[in-house]
Amino acid sequence: MSGDHIHAEPTSFWKKHVFSVDHKVIAKQFMWFGLLWLLIGGLMAMMIRWQLANPGMPVPLLGNLLFSRTDGVIDPATYNMLFTMHGTIMIFLGLTPILIGAFGNWCIPLMIGARDMIFPLLNMLSFWTVVLGGLVGLYSMFVPLGATEAGWTGYPTLSTTVGTQGSGETLWALAVFLIGLSSIMGGINYITTIIRLRAPGMGWMDMPLTIWGMLFTAVLNVLFLPVIGSAMLLLIMDRVFGTTFFVPASIMSGASGGDPILYQHLFWIFGHPEVYILILPAWGLVSDLLSFFARKPAFGYKVTVGAMFAVTLLSAVVYGHHMFTTGLSAMLGESFMLLTMIISVPGEILFFNWLHTIWRGSLRLTSAMLFSMGVIFVFGLGGLTGLYLATISTDIFLHDTYFVVGHFHLTMAASSLFGAFAAIYFFFPKMFGRMMSERLGKIHFWTTIIPLTVVFCTMFISGYGGMPRRYYDHTSASYLAPLQHLNVITTTAAFILGAAQLIFAWNFVRSRWWGAKAPDNPWEVGTLDWTTPTPVPHYNFKEIPVVHTGPHEFSHPKLGDRDWISQTDKLPA
Amino acid sequence: MATLTAELPREDPKARVNSTLGMIFFIGSWSMAFGTLYLSFLILRDRVDIWPPEGIVLPNFALATAGTVVLLASSAAIHAAVRRGRTGAPGFASLWCAGLLLGLAFGVAQTWLWYDLLAAGGAPQSGGYQSLFFGLTWVHAAHVALALIALMWIQYGIRTGRYGPHRISTVQNTAMFWHFMDVVWVVLYLSFFVF
Repeated sequence: MSGDHIHAEPTSFWKKHVFSVDHKVIAKQFMWFGLLWLLIGGLMAMMIRWQLANPGMPVPLLGNLLFSRTDGVIDPATYNMLFTMHGTIMIFLGLTPILIGAFGNWCIPLMIGARDMIFPLLNMLSFWTVVLGGLVGLYSMFVPLGATEAGWTGYPTLSTTVGTQGSGETLWALAVFLIGLSSIMGGINYITTIIRLRAPGMGWMDMPLTIWGMLFTAVLNVLFLPVIGSAMLLLIMDRVFGTTFFVPASIMSGASGGDPILYQHLFWIFGHPEVYILILPAWGLVSDLLSFFARKPAFGYKVTVGAMFAVTLLSAVVYGHHMFTTGLSAMLGESFMLLTMIISVPGEILFFNWLHTIWRGSLRLTSAMLFSMGVIFVFGLGGLTGLYLATISTDIFLHDTYFVVGHFHLTMAASSLFGAFAAIYFFFPKMFGRMMSERLGKIHFWTTIIPLTVVFCTMFISGYGGMPRRYYDHTSASYLAPLQHLNVITTTAAFILGAAQLIFAWNFVRSRWWGAKAPDNPWEVGTLDWTTPTPVPHYNFKEIPVVHTGPHEFSHPKLGDRDWISQTDKLPA
Repeated sequence: MATLTAELPREDPKARVNSTLGMIFFIGSWSMAFGTLYLSFLILRDRVDIWPPEGIVLPNFALATAGTVVLLASSAAIHAAVRRGRTGAPGFASLWCAGLLLGLAFGVAQTWLWYDLLAAGGAPQSGGYQSLFFGLTWVHAAHVALALIALMWIQYGIRTGRYGPHRISTVQNTAMFWHFMDVVWVVLYLSFFVF
């Protein structure tokens, strides 16, 4: 399939809307799929928070429906399942499909001037594999003994048959395996597409930064999802065939046994790059959006690319900071500590470039821009607290406390989510041909960022006070009882945060069908995707465009009364 | 034959590069998957003083060696077949068929190796060494089985004239994956039986 083909538009319903190979349809499928799971994972978070603030009290509204056996009370086993599935769902079925699946698919061909992904069939397979993974994950919640209780990290020996007997854990591992497979398929497609299908004239340094973010994410996906895939295979073998990869010798009667710490190595070799898999697309998108809405060129474009590249490289060699408390040798631990700290250098460069991009710009404070600036804010909070977790001496105290929960929610969860929201508000007019309500978008932003900051910053305080994560009932330990009011504050803010997302859901659904018709280029930006008519035709571009200028040529003095220029136009001499 | 292929539409050279690039990234990705399994081997081996652990039944060295020779021969046959297929020289179909049959023979040798070890009392449940041996060879064999189906598919395509000098990239990419399976096996063989 070369770049200049126009494959015929399918006419049957199934080929057009369900088993479509068109990247735009697949992007929308990923979007709806991700949003649905975000809703389920979010509801789980609300139930977890309810239990923590009101231990042993029946859950209002949904309790009798979901936990009828216990009269609406979340029992300890169910609580374990909730936090395990919350993590798994949000990471693998919520954020990954939206940020990488939906916006990777949407942005890559349109922004580089291609008619489709390079392997359209592989693209479709990628989506249906993640659907299968999601269904397996969903099914695992309804088997005898219920879903897995071993935490989203699935550490052995808790995750082997020694710790969890039910088939929920096996199905969980299978689901993660399938979702990983889907990401690898997507990753191979993205990299090859970006290398091969860029429009004539679009050099590497003429690509929007979104594409750079997607490229680095795809590289990490292709390299590190196989690692978790193999780890899940070994875990499944341990559970199904009785091998002893992760079960110590003392438990089984073998000549030599396995090693639970081996799993932690395999998991975090994947797990740390996974953080950047989620954040790099958001960084790329935000780097573009800040420039678009500040009406200024992105400050230090090449340096931003270099910094993202450095983060991609470093992300592969820092995973040991998740394992400081496992008895890592001092030299290894200190190396990981140093490498982790070095990530703050490219991190700072990105912050500097973002702030310099909006500095003295003619800011247009749209919802997309607000959420982009929100990414800077929440990632700043999360990134700075990361320093305490990278330092061995403080990490040993803070390990497995709510400090960690606050930190990773601000970095990988909130930042990625804000990036996704920014992208949804920004691309919605092109994707669905209608405008979202800006008024509701702004209400959504402020009712999200304020409670979100309260939720996770309160967790820093309770974590610093020694509150461990994953406990069912903090009031049962006398030393934690004085901190219970912090749990109440967190939960109250979390409920406001949860309710605010209903504004978004309403805005999304309302705008999808009843929003104002969108013009071709409502934001007045120059990237190739906005040169297409709305709705985007089946073949994207009638003629493959020829690129003459960079993606961020705003407020160029030669432009006269207009402050932007399309990438297909030449700057006046 | 030569006149027939001349009339067939030739594949776009750009498309050839695209699919080859895709296969290279795929193999790069799968190297990480097998690399992870191999890392497990190294870490578990490092945890005990004596390797292989004393007093356990070891897999049959002669059978494994025979399998290795057969698989290397298969790879060589496939390589020779692709070289002929690219230029249209005779022997494309027969060499590919030889590679396929040798691949199937490796599958037989591998199955025999497992049953031989099971009969001697070495089971996947017996301990770390056996877990590694069965687990790693299972994953490799599952990929070999899928690759064999691809080899058969291409054999059929060569017979029907679908593949030839006019259309070679699928053949080349499948061969590349087959050589990759070969490399993985050689690493496993050397680790379990030689070093």
